[in-house]
Amino acid sequence: MATVTRPQQPATAATERAVAIAPPSRRSRRRLLPLVGLAAGALVFLFPFYYMVIGALQREPNPDVSGAFPNPANLTLDNLRDINRAINLPRTLINSGIFTGGVLLCTLVLGLLAGYALARLEFRGRGLVFNAMLLILIVPFQLLMIPLYVMIVRGYLLGDNYLGMILPFAVNATAVFIFRQFFLQLPRELFESARLDGASELQILTRIAIPLAKPAIMTAVILTFIGPWNEFLWPFLVTKRLALQPLAVALASFISNVAGRQANPFGAILAGAVVLTIPAVALFLVFQRRFQATNLGSGVKG
Amino acid sequence: MPSTRIRLWIAVVATLGLALVGCTRGGGGGNQTADQATTATGPIKIWYSNNQDEVKWGKAVVAAWNQAHSDQQVTAQEIPAGKSSEEVIGASITAGNTPCLIFNTAPAAVPQFQKQGGLVALDSFPDGASYISQRVGSRADQYKSPDGKFYQMPWKTNPVEIFYNKKVFAKAGLNADKPPLATYQDFLATAKTLVDKGGVKAAIWPSPASDFFQSWFDFYPLFIAETGKQLVVDGQPQFNSPEGVAVGEFWKQLYKDGLAQKEMFNGDAFAAQKAAMAIVGPWAIAVYGDKVDWGVAPLPTSGGKDPSQIQTFSDEKSIGMYSSCQNRGTAWEFLKFATSQEQDGKLLDVTGQMPMREDLPSLYADYFKAHPDYTTFAEQAARTVEVPNVPNSVEIWQTFRDAYTQSVIFGRGDVKQSFDQAAEKVKTLAAGS
Amino acid sequence: MAAGAATTSRPPLVRRLLGRQPVGYLFVAPYVLFLFAIFAYPLGFAVYMSFHDYFFAAPGAVVERPFVGLDNFTTALADPVFRRAMLNVVIFIAINVPLTVLVGLVLATALNAAIPFRTFFRASYFVPYVTASVAVIGVWAWLFNSDGLVNAILGPLAPDPSWLVNSFWAMPIIALFATWKQLGFYVLLYLAALQNIPEELYEAAEVDGAGPVRRFRAVTVPGVRPTTTLVVIAATITGANFFTEPYLLTGRGGPAGASVSPVLLMYTQGIEQGKAGYAAAIGVLLAIGVMVVSLVNRYLLERS
Repeated sequence: MATVTRPQQPATAATERAVAIAPPSRRSRRRLLPLVGLAAGALVFLFPFYYMVIGALQREPNPDVSGAFPNPANLTLDNLRDINRAINLPRTLINSGIFTGGVLLCTLVLGLLAGYALARLEFRGRGLVFNAMLLILIVPFQLLMIPLYVMIVRGYLLGDNYLGMILPFAVNATAVFIFRQFFLQLPRELFESARLDGASELQILTRIAIPLAKPAIMTAVILTFIGPWNEFLWPFLVTKRLALQPLAVALASFISNVAGRQANPFGAILAGAVVLTIPAVALFLVFQRRFQATNLGSGVKG
Repeated sequence: MPSTRIRLWIAVVATLGLALVGCTRGGGGGNQTADQATTATGPIKIWYSNNQDEVKWGKAVVAAWNQAHSDQQVTAQEIPAGKSSEEVIGASITAGNTPCLIFNTAPAAVPQFQKQGGLVALDSFPDGASYISQRVGSRADQYKSPDGKFYQMPWKTNPVEIFYNKKVFAKAGLNADKPPLATYQDFLATAKTLVDKGGVKAAIWPSPASDFFQSWFDFYPLFIAETGKQLVVDGQPQFNSPEGVAVGEFWKQLYKDGLAQKEMFNGDAFAAQKAAMAIVGPWAIAVYGDKVDWGVAPLPTSGGKDPSQIQTFSDEKSIGMYSSCQNRGTAWEFLKFATSQEQDGKLLDVTGQMPMREDLPSLYADYFKAHPDYTTFAEQAARTVEVPNVPNSVEIWQTFRDAYTQSVIFGRGDVKQSFDQAAEKVKTLAAGS
Repeated sequence: MAAGAATTSRPPLVRRLLGRQPVGYLFVAPYVLFLFAIFAYPLGFAVYMSFHDYFFAAPGAVVERPFVGLDNFTTALADPVFRRAMLNVVIFIAINVPLTVLVGLVLATALNAAIPFRTFFRASYFVPYVTASVAVIGVWAWLFNSDGLVNAILGPLAPDPSWLVNSFWAMPIIALFATWKQLGFYVLLYLAALQNIPEELYEAAEVDGAGPVRRFRAVTVPGVRPTTTLVVIAATITGANFFTEPYLLTGRGGPAGASVSPVLLMYTQGIEQGKAGYAAAIGVLLAIGVMVVSLVNRYLLERS
């Protein structure tokens, strides 16, 4: 039986070694400069979020500079209550979850199959499928949106239906790309010897390839999650029933329609936005450690 | 990545797609003739707007009907929200899933929906045209389509006037009960004083965005006040007349002097007390209520017209009956029920918006006695002008808005020249091409 | 070649025609079906629409949709608004792509080092990518308001008119916003690529006396060349399709059309004004433009 070789993570060990070689003063100086730069950058990147959270917690919006450092007396959870009253937060969150979950499921199942086939199975027309997949990435969704809408609602009669929401996003091309890249990097012998041993392709996929692909799967999950979670144009088009709308849609229509009537519209909007952001950030934090070490760029020439 | 091969395959894919299209394009027909539908009765669906007060009224109307008509139940929901109701309805027409009635059909969108084949001509009902003319009166003609039929039922209007912040006026040393806003000259002087001494960022802050409908709340009301005309009359653009250009120059001056802001405000500038005035209709009374000590003044005109002669933009919303409706008999009966004198009175009561009827002050005298704030709007409601019912209406408004933002808001180019250029294009559009 | 497969007899006909593992067709079939259903048909339909005076009608309505040949395309190419939109795409890409590559690579290099709080830093650069544009744009609009924080800090240096209503600055601000928002994704790609550069190369360079900047230029940059190609192409494609920013941030492509985007045009023409054929023509032109630019990019980047 062939030995299973796990892809190495050479970077950390080597970096540590390289750092240890340098003399102490150079080491600390070398670490200080990037650290300061990173901190400054992180500040710039995170400031809009900080402001978003602050704005969500303020009773009265304070558009001045001093608003960035709020008076503790001005903090309140009222905005959260207001936005929840206007758009049913739990229900819309569940809808977002169903939509995103459906996409993730389809992408993982169909994407792993397709990625594996594109990488490790030889069949005529393989290149064509790969190129077609790349083509999807180029064409703007808005070009396809109306014909798609007509097709899905009139043709397939899937309006006001979770399936109708999920369908155009069902298999994320980037994820298939990532899977293909990853499988390409696994040693060929791994698969050849398994075939020699009489394993069927399906068995190879499920018993060997997928367990090894965990880092790629994690990456694909994060990247695939973001699309449907934040998408508002398509689900809005397809669902007319309020009960089915995901949070991103409800929030967008709240901003355009009802916001003006609230006591603190800006605060309510930001409260909704914070709620929308939290699951995505949480997912990232949980998964980011496992992000894979694969060279995605090498697949470009394929 | 893209290569010659892929370009070849794009062609193949597109061709295959086109072939598929050829086979599957077209739509299914309805499953009964239009005549049958006209008299059919049964359950129907309706949408009303997502304005809280209208929802309240809507629920009450539906409940009252359903109690009396158990075999013709009405199911109602709020219109699915979007950036504009036009796109929601347009998409719904395409999908074929519009309800029977939508209580939030904008007159400007009616030509488009009509073109799509989405609307039912109310004249197809024996008492259709007569009911509408009787209820609406002299202004009904503004809502007829070019073919002479009614594809909408004019329902309610929110005639716009100038709301002003009494406290800000007082602070600026102006007369808060009789504000000097009658002529353009007075208005400009007042505006300057307000910004200088009143502590507001803008004297008035209409949205400077480029949406096609924004002109209904800055240019159009003043244009109507000045001329009483629609944007396009008998296929001829009216906005590049000397009066129209004068209105444009007036707004240009406001923007130039910084009395109106070129940036968008996140929210309602008047309610947030960043602007001293706003051009809105009576629906705003409920919104501004306690937030602002407000007063109402008629729109300014170049020479200071007598207020009882000043007309304004109607900001009207109609009720449309949509072609996907199977039980049109019920829909028509419900339509008449919901626009009866009694229900119109309830609408007035709950929402403060003016039903499209003649002589409101005497018809609902009790209401206006209890709510004197609304009386001036009721009187103004008799003198409203609508958007023109012409083909390509949305594109016409967008063309005008683009010229307006260019020459008036951002002060680039001559107002007369840009209006003339827009007028050329509008003329072609209104002719139906 | 793996030893086991070496036989001297020719593989069976099926194998020769279809490849060694025809079961690949089965694996890839659902995905191909998906591509056809969701992609090929709408694309074909969109191309079909672009050659007609097309608008969507109610089911069963009898309407005329005459074939107009290239009219939609010629109208678009002659339309100054469309031209401005394409110019805006060029401006956007000219700012966004180099900035993304440069800042992305530098950031990834910094985040790759063994620094304290590495997780926190990685998260903070990734967070903008994860949030909905809708949510973040409000904050950005507030920051760049004429009374906003940026102008407060800049004081007399603030441009007049202010950023978002300034026809010169509106597009660059949009490009900056998009760069900030997308950077996390590209940093991630670069981080992964950096893992694959052998440490020995850096050590060798250091032994040769190269400083950190020199090492970056000599080892890092060439080492991630394929990823750079990918980043450039991905950023170009995403950039060409920008829509939310002019829609929400500058009031539909303000001031007076200085920040319109082709996709925004498709939306206003196709959905608001119901001119589906014209919108489709714009989309086709855009897609062609993007493909051309991608090809050029790829050629330039992979030449050496």
